[in-house]
Amino acid sequence: MATEAQEAAKIEQLAHANPDEIEVAAGREKEQLEGWIPSLASEAETREALEKAFDYRGDITITRKDGTKVEGYLFDRRSGATLESSYARVIPTNSPEKVNVAYSDIAALAFSGRDTAAGKTFEAWVKKYWEKKAAGEKNIQIEPEKLD
Amino acid sequence: MAVPVSQAWTVASYVLKQKLKGRKRYPLVLMLEPLFRCNLACAGCGKIQYPAHILKAELTPEECFKAVEECGTPMVAIPGGEPLLHPKMPEIVAGLVARKKYVYMCTNALLLKEKLHLFKPSKYLSFSVHVDGQKEHHDFAVCREGGHDIAMEGVRAAVAAGFRVTTNTTLFDGADPNSVRRHFDELMSAGVESMMVSPGYTYDKAPDQKHFLGRARSKKLFRAILSNRKKSWQFNASPMFMEFLMGKKDLKCTPWGMPTFSIFGWQKPCYLLQDGYADTFRELMETVEWSNYGTESGNPRCANCMVHSGYEASGVNYTFGSLKGMLETARAMFFGSYKDNGAMKLLNEWKPAQHGPLVQIAAAQQSNELQGVSGD
Ligand code: SF4
Repeated sequence: MATEAQEAAKIEQLAHANPDEIEVAAGREKEQLEGWIPSLASEAETREALEKAFDYRGDITITRKDGTKVEGYLFDRRSGATLESSYARVIPTNSPEKVNVAYSDIAALAFSGRDTAAGKTFEAWVKKYWEKKAAGEKNIQIEPEKLD
Repeated sequence: MAVPVSQAWTVASYVLKQKLKGRKRYPLVLMLEPLFRCNLACAGCGKIQYPAHILKAELTPEECFKAVEECGTPMVAIPGGEPLLHPKMPEIVAGLVARKKYVYMCTNALLLKEKLHLFKPSKYLSFSVHVDGQKEHHDFAVCREGGHDIAMEGVRAAVAAGFRVTTNTTLFDGADPNSVRRHFDELMSAGVESMMVSPGYTYDKAPDQKHFLGRARSKKLFRAILSNRKKSWQFNASPMFMEFLMGKKDLKCTPWGMPTFSIFGWQKPCYLLQDGYADTFRELMETVEWSNYGTESGNPRCANCMVHSGYEASGVNYTFGSLKGMLETARAMFFGSYKDNGAMKLLNEWKPAQHGPLVQIAAAQQSNELQGVSGD
């Protein structure tokens, strides 16, 4: 679930126009979350940080209160009435088994992996395209990332 | 007829059965995503941005069959990622065909020609090839020069081998309706059975965040494209959904109409939005607060959505919801050329987009050829 700050452009647009009258829909402001280590001092901070972790398209690292760590992709979170009944759901980097971690067990959270949704703008592709074209290159493309 | 009679009959009887059972919410098509990795990196796609260990993960054939049985839809679409990268895709497709599911395997067709021999033609199987427009437009959308030619080679090879082939075209701001109409001509003459067209969705993870169509522009664009329709064009979409795209009909989103199952589980609430995952189909249906979704909900993430996966089922529901719906659909199917002088004017006066150099070049070349548009 995106936070209101992340959806600000769309919310602002809708404050002034009926959805049926919008010509170009607002996109999303990208937040720089890579490398972020949020403070989890209060319940509100913990919940907000885990919402952002759910929205983040890179791996995160959770340090439990017993010192053990889970590094992986946080693909879901279940928000309950208390931190004990709320939990993060992670697919670890080294195993396909889904792991649940109660919010109340989390001592630290780090946005440790690279944000895979960052930095590849459409404008950058167009610019690169013309540079390569000018250099006489053929079959120009954005390559999907190598997985190994 | 855009789909075989047996398929139309299967779908109609499924929908009527759900209605007779008094089911308020029932799915129409399962969107099965067996993997997220892809051999393209399109600017408008928000589906492939994941860490490498997630992109390498895949659903097993057994997981796919279990999901199909849980959900019970007569049709299964297999998007992704690129399904042809899944080593067990032939086994998955064969298993679904054996279960008499109508399968639409969505592919960018880069690998279609070379993998075709791994599949068997069947009335239950259609390759749904993603082609986003004429050569320049498609190459631009998929950020790969030459992508269009390879995809069309795949289309022709599949048609020649006796497969059902449909196409899927997603349009973003900057789409040129005249070119889209020529694109339809090209697709039909390549022998495709039918075509699907939809506006893109504002994926918040997509690299391009500036060219998403708003509803007003979508309706203008689709009115220009789909009015004054040629007899040769066959569409693989409900006539009511297409009227919705043209701004002729109001439909409310049916977010449960095309539920999505992937390595994460059942996606809440729909194919486009990710608000979490349920472990079973039943849990999905029971735990999502459905009133929070759809344009009328006020949810900003739904505000501009007119996408096929949210509204096709609404069109089908409209058809089967009343005698009026059935009559309107029958009229659209048999007499729906949608003659519209205003739309013709829109087409003739359409200004090419200003933001994409590739598109501008294509549009500038083509505008010289534009002498108005006529039906068949
Ligand atoms: S309006 Fe679109 S994004 Fe929103 S729930 Fe419906 S299909 Fe999903």
